[in-house]
Amino acid sequence: MSSNITRSALASVAFVSSAVLLAGCAGAAEPEAAEDGPVTITVSIDAGLEQEARDNFDARVALFEDANEDITIEAQEYTWTAPTFTTDLAGGTLPDVFTIPFTDGRGLIANQQIADISQYVADLPYADQFNPNVAQAGQADDGTQWAIPIAAYGQGLHYNRTLFEAAGLDPDNPPTTWDEVREAAKKISDATGEAGYATMTSGNTGGWILTTLVNAFGGRTENAEATASTLTSDPAVAEVLQYLHDLRWEDDAMGANFLYDWGTINQDFASGRIGMYVSGGGNYGNLVTQNALNPDDYGLTVLPLQGADPGLLGGGTLAAVSPKASAAEQEAAVKWIDFYYMAKLADEDTAVETAELAASLDQPVGAPELPVFDQEQFATYQSWIAPFVNVPVDQMAPYTDAIFDQPLIPEPRVATQDVYALLDTVVQAVLTDENADIDALLADVQTQADALYAKAG
Amino acid sequence: MSGVIGADAPAEPQAAPAQRRERPQAEDRGILSVADWRRGRVRLTTRLTHLILLLSLVVVGLGPILWLAKSAVTPTQDTLRQPLALWPNGIDWANLAEAWTRVEIDKYFLNTVIIALGVWLVQVVVATTAGYALSVLRPRYGKIIVGLVLATLFVPSIVLLVPLYLTIVQPPLLGQSLINTFWAVWLPAGANAFNVLLVMRFFDSLPREVFEAARMDGAGPYRLFWSIVVPMSRPIIGVVSVFAVIAAWKDFLWPMLVLKDPAMQPLSVRLPQLQQFIELDVFLAALAIATVIPIALFLVFQRLFLNGASLGGAVKG
Amino acid sequence: MTQLTPTTAPPPLPATAETIERTVAATRRRRGVAGWFRGDGPHILVFLLPLLFSFILFSWKPIVDAAVMAFQHTNLIAPAEWVGWENFATVLSDPLLGKAVVNTLWFAALALLLGYPIPLVVAVLMSEVRRARGLYSALAYLPVIVPPVVGALLWKFFYDASPNGVFNTIAAWFGAGPFPWLQDQATAMPSIVLFATWSAAGGTIIIYLAALVGVAPELYDAAEVDGAGVWRKVWHVTIPQLRGVLLITFILQIIGTAQVFLEPFLLTAGGPANSTTTVLMLIYKYAFQNSLGGDYGAATALSLMLAVVLAIFSAIYFRLTRSWSTS
Repeated sequence: MSSNITRSALASVAFVSSAVLLAGCAGAAEPEAAEDGPVTITVSIDAGLEQEARDNFDARVALFEDANEDITIEAQEYTWTAPTFTTDLAGGTLPDVFTIPFTDGRGLIANQQIADISQYVADLPYADQFNPNVAQAGQADDGTQWAIPIAAYGQGLHYNRTLFEAAGLDPDNPPTTWDEVREAAKKISDATGEAGYATMTSGNTGGWILTTLVNAFGGRTENAEATASTLTSDPAVAEVLQYLHDLRWEDDAMGANFLYDWGTINQDFASGRIGMYVSGGGNYGNLVTQNALNPDDYGLTVLPLQGADPGLLGGGTLAAVSPKASAAEQEAAVKWIDFYYMAKLADEDTAVETAELAASLDQPVGAPELPVFDQEQFATYQSWIAPFVNVPVDQMAPYTDAIFDQPLIPEPRVATQDVYALLDTVVQAVLTDENADIDALLADVQTQADALYAKAG
Repeated sequence: MSGVIGADAPAEPQAAPAQRRERPQAEDRGILSVADWRRGRVRLTTRLTHLILLLSLVVVGLGPILWLAKSAVTPTQDTLRQPLALWPNGIDWANLAEAWTRVEIDKYFLNTVIIALGVWLVQVVVATTAGYALSVLRPRYGKIIVGLVLATLFVPSIVLLVPLYLTIVQPPLLGQSLINTFWAVWLPAGANAFNVLLVMRFFDSLPREVFEAARMDGAGPYRLFWSIVVPMSRPIIGVVSVFAVIAAWKDFLWPMLVLKDPAMQPLSVRLPQLQQFIELDVFLAALAIATVIPIALFLVFQRLFLNGASLGGAVKG
Repeated sequence: MTQLTPTTAPPPLPATAETIERTVAATRRRRGVAGWFRGDGPHILVFLLPLLFSFILFSWKPIVDAAVMAFQHTNLIAPAEWVGWENFATVLSDPLLGKAVVNTLWFAALALLLGYPIPLVVAVLMSEVRRARGLYSALAYLPVIVPPVVGALLWKFFYDASPNGVFNTIAAWFGAGPFPWLQDQATAMPSIVLFATWSAAGGTIIIYLAALVGVAPELYDAAEVDGAGVWRKVWHVTIPQLRGVLLITFILQIIGTAQVFLEPFLLTAGGPANSTTTVLMLIYKYAFQNSLGGDYGAATALSLMLAVVLAIFSAIYFRLTRSWSTS
């Protein structure tokens, strides 16, 4: 159920969603020069905020309204989930401004389920400074920017330093090859009885992490033209599944839970039941604030890369606007996105203020992320927030030292979530059936994926 | 919730004599005769069986609830590593306070009560008025309506999910979405064919002489309904009420779809979401609190619950 | 949304009989009531209004909408398009459908295996309890009171497959396990059924208990005259006397299990490897688990097919309750 809750929370940004609508309206909302006059927009806000965080949000709303007297902001608590998104879309119960994962951007744009705000985006001062890898997730086929990337992450290998020590491993020297990962997993499992290595399998996360590993093993799950899945043709897919199979069945190093999704694997990792797992590199914030992770346990490193052309799967969050919004509302919505999501990255004062406040509330500041803008801007941003960083940066050094050397690979572009869902089943089958026929499973999924690509085609 | 049950309380004394009247028979004898009971071996076996049965029921019925109660005040790591040990590292009462304040179980419980109350009211009104019109007043076209109502019992609720959702988003006539209002849960609950049939059956069984007599005395259809039929139908209203309240407690998918705003959600919708946000020990405390109140109500109004269950059987969510 | 499973029509409650008798005694004039009201058309309509309002809006119209949507291609975003039987073809060619049907039947079979005899045995034993029967009933009914969402989340934790899991700790006392419970394709479904049985058996026990109380003592007396022992009495008197109720709970259980959703949804999300994906979960998947727009046409098409099957069982059920309640 939380499949996509998951994805959303990934970037640990507010999720939300919203809006949507009839294709007709979407196309028709050709923004003309927005008329002057009062506008009210609903914006999304994280669910379950602590009072301080909510007060902070309200304060920022007041600030925004002072600066834009014609705009009234209404906050709507909302969490983006795949299962309810389309019903909300149809029901028009989503806010005017909402966020979606990178994976969904292109599909929603193709279906005109989000507003074409490209003319307003083009006017933003940093419009031409986006990291192109990141910006493409929110672009239509013609290259116009319909959704604004507000956060990006690269996958990382999270590990439990305490379990590493208990197994006689050096937590400052985490594994650097997949063979070493396997050895470490077995040692942890043998020494502590906990899962040496665990992986998500449920709510589309199984396909997501499998794709991550395939990329790290030098393979791809989609061809370069994004016209077909390459589940059977790229040998890395079967190779990764065999790797997981051996880890599970030969080494018995994967614990006892094979139905993890994003929320439950974080929970078990935070409570010390998992030695290593792969997830978004910025996960630390969620682990601490939602799952009460003991910071001393935490370690983060890059994924080992092997094979001919390996890379790091990345993803992130887009802010988008309801196609139901009028031209004036769209313009106001972009102003809000600029103010609320972007300024804390692009504007020094806001960045400092935001970091300072988070630190004062004991919220994590400085968890690893990937640049939404170019490398230079990212370095500047890092220097702004440096005084407030309160996460154990030393324990994340193996990741932050190496992450920018890894080539970034975007997620597959077509029917992404649906293919992930198909792959969930394959991963679950391999982990729960010792005699699973990997080639047959992949052949079956390839056929179904072909149908999805044909439909999207 | 107590409001709901309280309103039915008058039904209780009425339903009770029914049981009391049958009891003496059952107490005179069941499968075992008085003679059987006198035989030592039979008596011993029976007693022993009953003891085993009682123990099993305690373990199976009460066990999980007691475990939940224990774990609600146990630190996470203890629950994970020694789930059946009794507080190896002490009791952590703070879990309960945190669940109550931070997780706001009180708020979601209140929502559950409000939803249950509304569902109860709507179902009772629809069922009694319809039962009265169709069983007592019996219009000529009544059979058609009964047939149409009956037909809906054959349609699995999942069929309605999507079209019903659209009805709530764009209700005819109203022109305003009912999403994020309790009406979205209250109103559709009225379309419950089972309740209507239950009440009709009950009214059918009432002697028609009563209605005739009242009519002869000059009572109009409204007076007949209010002064004669409603008082006589207390037992069946009690049954419908128990069903309504239980169903409202249990419902999950529908409120999840129409009550987006967490401030409006009942416990059943909120709890699975909370699992994502909060630590295990606090989450178990939240589960425990969410269970205590229904159980307390059950213990207080046990007879009403059990009578309802025996009449109607399981209510499936 | 919650649909009550149809259940047995209640026997008239004796409690009201007294009231009725009193009133009847007071006035003995007779006349066709129906005749009286024939002229009251508008008043009847007033009383029918709540029914018509709810059923037209929230039952009949949505049913018609569903039947139409099954023949359309719509994701509620693009305008609906008439596609004839295509949705049905899509559903029938889905490789998951066969699996979901088999899983659902497997669930139903397991649920009958566990959920059918256990309540009967418990109820028969309980009917012989002379003291504190209320205590037994309350204990048996307690799991029914636990909200199903709470129960499912709790049992999900009990089913932790590590050696430290609750059930595995208990199994270890007896030298068994650890068992994978929900984490294995073979044991996931039985585990779900075990939970479902736990949460529902209390209701069935109470139904049987009520029926047992209604068995006429004379029948036992007669059997004893024929020299029947305890077992023969159970077999030849009790069970035959319960056959009406037994048949009805049987049909109800089939109808209920065919629509099972919450348990696999919360416990396994259909896994591992679709081993607990039921027909209803498939419908849900079509409609709500596609991040770019649900396939409502396919979802309603499958719902309609399921509805046809269930309608047959419901018809049997109604036939049974009618003949049973009038006999």
